Amino acid sequence: MVNGDVVYEAKTTRMTRWNQLNDDVEAVSSDITDETNALPAKYFTSSEIHELEKEKIFGRYWVYAGHANAITEPGAYFTRTVGDRQVIIVRGHDDEIRAFFNVCAHRGSKMVEDTPMTDPENMGRIRCPYHMWSYDLDGDLESTPQSFEEAGLNPDLSDDEVCGMDASENSLSEVETDRIGPFVFLNFAQDPMPLAEQAGTLKSELEAMPLGEYEHAARYVSEVECNWKTFAGNYSECDHCHANHQDWITDIELAESELEVNDYHWILHYTHDEDVEDEMRIHDEHEAKFYYFWPNFTVNMYGTADGYGTYIIDPIDEGRFQLIADYYFSDEEMTDAEQEFVQTSRQLQEEDFELVERQYEGLKSGALAQAQLGPNEHTVHRLHRLAQEAYEA
Amino acid sequence: MTRQSQRADAPFVAQCVRTDARVATTTANEVVNFYRRRQQLMDTDIEWVTAEHRAVSQAPTSGGVVHVLRDLDDDFQSGVPLGILAAAMSKQGQTVKDTLADVHDVRMDGSLWEPRSDHLRPV
Repeated sequence: MVNGDVVYEAKTTRMTRWNQLNDDVEAVSSDITDETNALPAKYFTSSEIHELEKEKIFGRYWVYAGHANAITEPGAYFTRTVGDRQVIIVRGHDDEIRAFFNVCAHRGSKMVEDTPMTDPENMGRIRCPYHMWSYDLDGDLESTPQSFEEAGLNPDLSDDEVCGMDASENSLSEVETDRIGPFVFLNFAQDPMPLAEQAGTLKSELEAMPLGEYEHAARYVSEVECNWKTFAGNYSECDHCHANHQDWITDIELAESELEVNDYHWILHYTHDEDVEDEMRIHDEHEAKFYYFWPNFTVNMYGTADGYGTYIIDPIDEGRFQLIADYYFSDEEMTDAEQEFVQTSRQLQEEDFELVERQYEGLKSGALAQAQLGPNEHTVHRLHRLAQEAYEA
Repeated sequence: MTRQSQRADAPFVAQCVRTDARVATTTANEVVNFYRRRQQLMDTDIEWVTAEHRAVSQAPTSGGVVHVLRDLDDDFQSGVPLGILAAAMSKQGQTVKDTLADVHDVRMDGSLWEPRSDHLRPV
């Protein structure tokens, strides 16, 4: 059997790894035809793994922060929380977008209130309300109150013993940012791999499309009771579509569709039954293209709408996640057709939520020690392999 | 609906006024947590659908948060859960956001204290 450059040998039949029969789980095999081709169930249900992922996954890889169009003016900002970390994403006077921990350099206070990307605010400087330390939009310390320059309340110090505060030495803690078109990404690692390396061909492919010309039109946030990887796996395959998305697949030629796997992203190409007018797509190909970018971001090029969507699959804990679904069209006021389109997309989401919550109920029961993937679930296999690589890193 | 988060047997149900997304939980404070998580992602509010709890059903239908808190205080020795107070205030038409804003105001004037996180007692 040949899949890309990898040559697989035909295997004997595989056996389900139930806990009561065989709780001997193994790491995810690089060979999808192996019996142990999926993450063991505990990686979906363990609170320790959830804590581990905050560092090993969300602290190491590029994570989507938000859309650059949300902050077009200097001083415009929003906040983004990833795990236990919250950052301020702000556009500077030089038009650059930067990210800083929402933590004051003085004594660690949270500085600005939670500010969603969909309702950004604007500030001339970043100010901590605790002792009024102020920073410019580059993160450099701009001013401290007079009480930090003299020691009037301390009988053991004279004013001239007070050392001044150097602006650049007391700046905010900056978080690495980079962009793919209008999409702003964060990386919390000290020396991260470049975004271009993690994104691979995804970067050039997305940047070839005029994504920045579209406006944010709608956001839906859903809390779903399953591990984030459960939903990520569901998004990444369409073997379940025929039985569970019957309205949607009436216009899709599933047999002609293709799932393309790359290092850190995979693309689901869904061929439409009938040709769709070019005006109803952003991309050239006559298909819907759903991009999954590890670890938890998707770009949904629908193929039947002059617009696109994004998903953020943010874990809350090991058993819950938030799906943050954003929709972008030529105008922030949606047409009736666009609203109908979003409703169809929401229907798909709700159908998937039912599926993944059912799957997670089963996984939580502890009956299954290690699932197994089919040959057309190679995108899910990639997801599981990346998770395992991250845990082992 | 069969989604676990929307099970009919959950005593506390609330929904997002902007998207109608619902939360159904066994603790009232989880509704407050739901509100806070959503506030990080969109400027919205949460309104109560049901709150099946004896204290809520017996809570007064008029008066401010301090008045209602005093009434609820006898039922909760280590503080009234913030979500229970918010559910009780919904009988006066208050959303979660309204109640949290009122609670902040009266906390700042010293009228109530928080013996543990998200549990309130009158001073």
